[in-house]
Amino acid sequence: MPAYYLEAAVVVLGIVLMLMDAFVEKAEKSLVAKVGVLGLIGVFVALFFVRGPEAGDAAPIWSFYAVDPTALFYKGFALITTIVVLLMSLDYRGVLQHFMGPEQEKAGAGQGEFFYLPLFTCAGLMWMASAKDIVSIFVALELVTISFYVLVAFLRRNVGSLEAGVKYLILGALSTGFFVYGLTWLFGLSGETELSKIAAQLANEDSAMNLYPKALLFALSMVLVGLAFKVAAVPFQIWVPDVYQGAPTPVTAFLSVGSKAAGFVVGYRILQPFIDANTTPQLITLILAVSGATILLGNLAAMQQDNFKRMLAYSSISHAGFLLLALGCARTAGSQINVQGVMALYLGGYLAMTLLAFHVMCLVRDQLGGEEIATYKGLAQRSPFLAFVLLIAMISLAGIPFTAGFFGKFYVFLVALQSRYYVIIALAVLGVGAGFYYYLKVVRAMYWDEAADDRRLAVGPMSKAGMALLTGIILVLGVYPTPILSLFASS
Amino acid sequence: MDVLFYIFSAIMILFGLGVVVSRNPVTSALCLVVSFLGLAALFIQLDAFFIGIVQILVYAGAVMVLFLFIIMLLDLKSEEHQPMNYMAFAGGVILAVVFVVQLASVLSSFKAGELGFPLQQHELTLAENAEGLPEAAQERMAEEKLPDVHLVGRTIFTHFNFPLQVVAVLLLVSTIGVVILSKRKLT
Repeated sequence: MPAYYLEAAVVVLGIVLMLMDAFVEKAEKSLVAKVGVLGLIGVFVALFFVRGPEAGDAAPIWSFYAVDPTALFYKGFALITTIVVLLMSLDYRGVLQHFMGPEQEKAGAGQGEFFYLPLFTCAGLMWMASAKDIVSIFVALELVTISFYVLVAFLRRNVGSLEAGVKYLILGALSTGFFVYGLTWLFGLSGETELSKIAAQLANEDSAMNLYPKALLFALSMVLVGLAFKVAAVPFQIWVPDVYQGAPTPVTAFLSVGSKAAGFVVGYRILQPFIDANTTPQLITLILAVSGATILLGNLAAMQQDNFKRMLAYSSISHAGFLLLALGCARTAGSQINVQGVMALYLGGYLAMTLLAFHVMCLVRDQLGGEEIATYKGLAQRSPFLAFVLLIAMISLAGIPFTAGFFGKFYVFLVALQSRYYVIIALAVLGVGAGFYYYLKVVRAMYWDEAADDRRLAVGPMSKAGMALLTGIILVLGVYPTPILSLFASS
Repeated sequence: MDVLFYIFSAIMILFGLGVVVSRNPVTSALCLVVSFLGLAALFIQLDAFFIGIVQILVYAGAVMVLFLFIIMLLDLKSEEHQPMNYMAFAGGVILAVVFVVQLASVLSSFKAGELGFPLQQHELTLAENAEGLPEAAQERMAEEKLPDVHLVGRTIFTHFNFPLQVVAVLLLVSTIGVVILSKRKLT
């Protein structure tokens, strides 16, 4: 089965759910999400049986669509993220109901759309994972971004959500402008849209890119601006706290995991040949400077937050900094370690722990009605299960050994040490130290503080299974990270 | 030809400034229309007739008319009386100046006539692969004129078919989005 059937299947599933939404009873909209979850699990299974182009197959699609370990890994990544986001949305129905329509409207208004729109985003993320041509990168990126504009502003009777939507729309459009401008310069310099052909020209001394390194640097920095916005790196992080806080929580989770991962896949694919060729050594300096600033600002700003969602927004900024540090080491890291594998391991752990944290947040927001860290006081009494999974997520985010977060950070530090970027390493150590403080603040609230009342939290069986699985991933990757690393070792 | 280039560029830049500087949204929108016309003229000068015409039909015609409708439906009078934020204004100007200086320094590193943009070669190879185009188009190719509508259409629907399909999904998503965000009652 050719790999591009996967995205086609996801889009068809989305359209089927759209029709289903039109016919299903208002009160049973949750069926849309449940069918979506089952369908996506099916696609995930199919992921293991796909193939790339057969020898001699010169169909135009293969010049846009890569089938390699990177593409397949991040396709699976997008699918898992979307499945968990749909499960979260099910637990978020109460909030959705409250902000979607006035009381006289029947229950379930607008829920169907909230359940099937993420599928189209997922298709976009999967296309981004495979994109290896400027044109397909851009259209897939726009599909993801535009569906996020809608999802962020989805709670249209909530001022915060609308504000987040407008901010994301305006800044997103601006960053897209920079990104496209950079890509057109790249196209103008090489005359090619396919990334591999552009990279091939770098080897040629007389190519325009080697004759005009200044123009190449200009193009690459514009691309970097666009991508830095997507992955929330300083100084293009200004939108993050407000948008993350205002958006519906499942969407925030989707943004912070899916959008960030896609940004890094595309970033690696576009920038890696240029980092390797080193025609423009300033590029690495630029990436490292952005990375250092991002780690520092993300972690220090997170320390002051009382709102859990806002704190995770800053934490997501700081993780982008660590990933950028790995990207900056792509040329200088030792030959035993593949930087792509390091980034995949980091993102894999990041997926599990961030989605877990946001899932608990969805349940707490839906049943206790608050997002402040104070709401989490005594969570261990309200629901020992939720408190435990959030504990695992928090210590993994902080990077304590025997969790996925530890190995993620460990390998980033390793490649940075091999590259001898001591200043950035110092900043990163500072960042990790600050991280311990604010992540464990949540743990303290859950276990040491008394609950304000004796309300209990209910967790559905599907959500419970999903959360248990993510916790398992964190713990397994925390002792045995080899599967992800070896996936990229041969490439 | 050079004179025409400068005239149309000047029109574009002047009216582009008008879009930003004007406090009245209707004036801004109309300035944008004129700026688009200048852009269309530049495309036509580059022999990209199809893109030039589409620029006028789609952007100046359809999109901007829609813009004007919306602006006139909303009451934006209050915007005109808002005091100007001079700090923000200064910041914006500084950023724009930095950007222009960067661009100028990059552009000045190109030595005229030394190396054409690889883009031009790209266009020519595109034209050589004209087999299978309609006869009228091939005749025009023989006269060394680009039948650009045919070339654009063929390229998009054959080589760039995959991105085209992705764009179709994108349009579906944006249609759904507009309905959700603007519909008064969702039931």
